[in-house]
Amino acid sequence: MVNFGAQSIRQTLVQLLGFAAIFTSSYMFYKGLSIVANSESPLVVVLSGSMEPAYQRGDVLLLWNRQKHVDVGEVVVYNIDGRTTPIVHRVLRSHASDNKQLLLTKGDNNAVDDVSFYGGRNQYLDREKEVVGVVKGYLPLVGYITILLAENQYFKYGLLGITGLLAFIQGE
Amino acid sequence: MHTSIQRIQQTFSQASTVLSIIAAIVFVVSYIQLVVANVWSLPEANFNLRGSKAARRFSRQYGANDPKKGKENVALKFDLDADLSPLFNWNTKLVFAYLTATYDGKRDDIVNEITIWDQIITDKDDSHIKLKGANSKYSLYDVEESFRNRNATVKLHWNIQPHVGAKIYGSLDATKGSIKFPQLV
Repeated sequence: MVNFGAQSIRQTLVQLLGFAAIFTSSYMFYKGLSIVANSESPLVVVLSGSMEPAYQRGDVLLLWNRQKHVDVGEVVVYNIDGRTTPIVHRVLRSHASDNKQLLLTKGDNNAVDDVSFYGGRNQYLDREKEVVGVVKGYLPLVGYITILLAENQYFKYGLLGITGLLAFIQGE
Repeated sequence: MHTSIQRIQQTFSQASTVLSIIAAIVFVVSYIQLVVANVWSLPEANFNLRGSKAARRFSRQYGANDPKKGKENVALKFDLDADLSPLFNWNTKLVFAYLTATYDGKRDDIVNEITIWDQIITDKDDSHIKLKGANSKYSLYDVEESFRNRNATVKLHWNIQPHVGAKIYGSLDATKGSIKFPQLV
């Protein structure tokens, strides 16, 4: 049980250090991946059904952003000023020159293309400015835990409660 | 001494290591099968353009940025025959097949590629594409005002979405794939 002797404090500190090490190493891994992929968010969890049946909610996508131009048919993640969540959709058209590329995207499961998402009177996406990355790899379902954590109160507090309780009753 | 948290952590990390190794093996084996099946040199797709017509459209959904001027839109009617069944193996979740037209722009460095038609194929039984007198799925318009009668090259691309692993791309050349955009009358 909880014991405030010198030994116990040392152990608690060692445990805290362990937690900190796990947290920082996963953060370093993510940031390292970010540098390698040249993308601010190299791993993306699918949140909507607009790309079904290719991608379902909870699937994890690995992004890559080192190619200059994106090909038609590739799936990109783009982020537009003023929108909170990035969108994962497929490229339908490309108009590319040496220093600029314009894209038109569409969700596989949507009836119409994304022109209405682009804001203002924009007819196209700017590859350089708005595309965060191109989807290269795919892992099914493993991201669902983040959706549960974000959207399900019971799961979130249940998990927190169980971890807290375990930490409390098994201090060793 | 091991606390429950440590045990949970151990189990979790063990499970994720094993799962990622299995995922990697699944992808590598299925990729080798695709190489053996020679999917990057499939026979040409049989494409035949039956007709095309141009019309002026005024909505933003048809590329008209200026509702007064409008934009030239082109519709195609075509036949297409291509067998994509070699792309299906045990790790193929679906194949996205898409027909595109590639053509030059105003300057030499500009390349335009637009999708004419596409289809999601989830079953090997549906993987032989046989279209007769199909209409272009998307209304075609250029970033410029008009296609200006330019020539375009039609190609059938495919993209395998695996159950797990990297996305795989390829394309088939099309017979009679050299087309000319019609003039607005």
